[in-house]
Amino acid sequence: MLSEYSVIEGRSRHFFKVLGGLVLLVLLGAGAFFFVEHHGHAVTGMNNQIVWGLPHIFAISLLVMASGALNMGSMSTVFAVKQFEQFGRFSAFLSIALLAGGLTVLMLDLGRPDNMLLPMVYMNFRSMFTWNVFLYTGFATLCLLYLWTMFEYKQYKKFIGTAAFGWRLVLTTGTGSIFGVIQGREVFGSAITAPTFVAASLTSGTALGILLLVYAYRHTDRFLDDRLIFGMRNALIFFMMLFAYLLVVEKFTRFYDPASYDVQIWILTGSWAWLYWGGVWGVGVIIPLMLLFNHTTGNRVGSITLASAFVVAGVFCFVGHVLLAGQAYPLDLFPGYAVSSPFLDGVVGSYTPTLPELFLGLGGVGISGLIFLLGVRFLRMLPKRGVAPDGWELPWNP
Amino acid sequence: MTMDRRSVLGLGGAIAAGLALAPGMHLVAAPQTPSDAPKDPAESPPAKRWAMLIDTTKCAANCTACVDACRQENNVPLFGDPERDIYWIRKVELRDKGLRKPPVSLPVLCNHCENPPCVHVCPTAASFSRKDGVVLIDKHRCIGCRYCIIACPYKARSLVYYKTKPPANTNKAVPIRAAGVVEKCTFCVHRIDNGEPPACVAACKGAEKGAMIFGDINDPQSEISQRLLTAKTQTMRPDLGLKPQVHYQGI
Repeated sequence: MLSEYSVIEGRSRHFFKVLGGLVLLVLLGAGAFFFVEHHGHAVTGMNNQIVWGLPHIFAISLLVMASGALNMGSMSTVFAVKQFEQFGRFSAFLSIALLAGGLTVLMLDLGRPDNMLLPMVYMNFRSMFTWNVFLYTGFATLCLLYLWTMFEYKQYKKFIGTAAFGWRLVLTTGTGSIFGVIQGREVFGSAITAPTFVAASLTSGTALGILLLVYAYRHTDRFLDDRLIFGMRNALIFFMMLFAYLLVVEKFTRFYDPASYDVQIWILTGSWAWLYWGGVWGVGVIIPLMLLFNHTTGNRVGSITLASAFVVAGVFCFVGHVLLAGQAYPLDLFPGYAVSSPFLDGVVGSYTPTLPELFLGLGGVGISGLIFLLGVRFLRMLPKRGVAPDGWELPWNP
Repeated sequence: MTMDRRSVLGLGGAIAAGLALAPGMHLVAAPQTPSDAPKDPAESPPAKRWAMLIDTTKCAANCTACVDACRQENNVPLFGDPERDIYWIRKVELRDKGLRKPPVSLPVLCNHCENPPCVHVCPTAASFSRKDGVVLIDKHRCIGCRYCIIACPYKARSLVYYKTKPPANTNKAVPIRAAGVVEKCTFCVHRIDNGEPPACVAACKGAEKGAMIFGDINDPQSEISQRLLTAKTQTMRPDLGLKPQVHYQGI
């Protein structure tokens, strides 16, 4: 069933346009980094209330998608859905590319990026960040080994692929726990944050996989069996419903506690409510689910791709909402008292991102895109034909 | 030179494995500190436990003597940008949401918690607790990740957003912090190690009725220990279990 792999030709006008666009993003990111480094973080929209802004949203979104991108590989290696085995290389390589982009943004947004290697030298093993350093490097190692076994040592593929699958779950748990373990802020500090991040990762990774596969196959005139995309659509629907379920359970649990009424009502109606309703629910869940469940649009590759783009944007909004709403809500220094001060205690934090932040974040997207593009150009990542076995029928279609 | 696919992947794997393992390895053993070497400034006599008590009934709403003294003593700049100005200590006004009690004005500063969440989350251990409970930041080790600001429930920490030149009246006893690192109240560690009270406490005694008391709570005879025994005091957010060491009386 499996066809041969080949590199993309990379001679077309389109290829060089995409390459140029990605290089431009990387250059913009580099420029933004030096600009912020030269002037200090005062040129960003960040302040002493919102200390993590747009670059962190880009970075964490890329990291969440990095673990999610491994889905197609895991589906075949761990869960024996053999139709997706052919995309295992693509999947593992995409994970590495996204991880590299996300980590770069995270490093370059440090207040002292010149000290970025210090976490490798001095380690505080109680810090969630330190655990994440090991989780990221370990994940990159496993993805590379996984890739290697897919190319050469197929007998170890199952073992390494399963390890990578387990690791990615722990990895995203670690990413979500950056916020989940913070008890001092009303919006953070929930055990359900980490599982929600895992669901967000499964969702966005699958969506990004669909987007890039369809895009790569369309623009290289390769054959891609629609049934493969329909299979991924079904997985995407399942992951999205899991994501939506966890979001609802989180809100339900919080609202059951009278002490949380104020903060929860603020989340649903306050200054970042538009991002929650419009971004997370509208763009991330409702619109794509309507597209995917509809008999006409749900069975068309074009609209499945569109729904996938919505999902990726929605998960970006989810990460953005967790970060921004979590920081913006004022700290309750003395419960029962309204507080005010020149340090803006008791005031909802304001944040307007600036262009350097946007460019720095997009620079990370550029790095991921560039690594991925050069990967499919020089390494045989994609099968010449994306084929499904004869007579294979999906158990469900909208 | 050309590399085949196997070499590229193998090399990539080796580099990633190296990155994963390198942090745990030491190529050269660090020399041991000789026993007669000067004591590490991060060390302190373990017998002491510094704490502060603020009597809000004596704290005047319009008085900022503690805030001003802190700025002067610790070279804390004011940028004129309210969202990014640095406060090691600030005056906060409390209004009872039930409107039963009159408004209260009090200073808020780093609580030098016994279980400091900022120290827990700091990836490089730049934030640390001394044995006497003072929580400090090693500005050379801080990478400016701001996770400590996220973790602190008292908003006690600020990132240095602007690059500034030290003013003419810089207090040379306190080093200037570079842009991009996080800073906060040190309980005036340079003063308390010399037997002096923190600048805010000293200024409060001079300007007002002495609303701030500073001392060693491990010494049962100290003024603060006596007051904590007799007066009704509370800390900020005791529910979080951080065991903060700034106590408030009169709320």
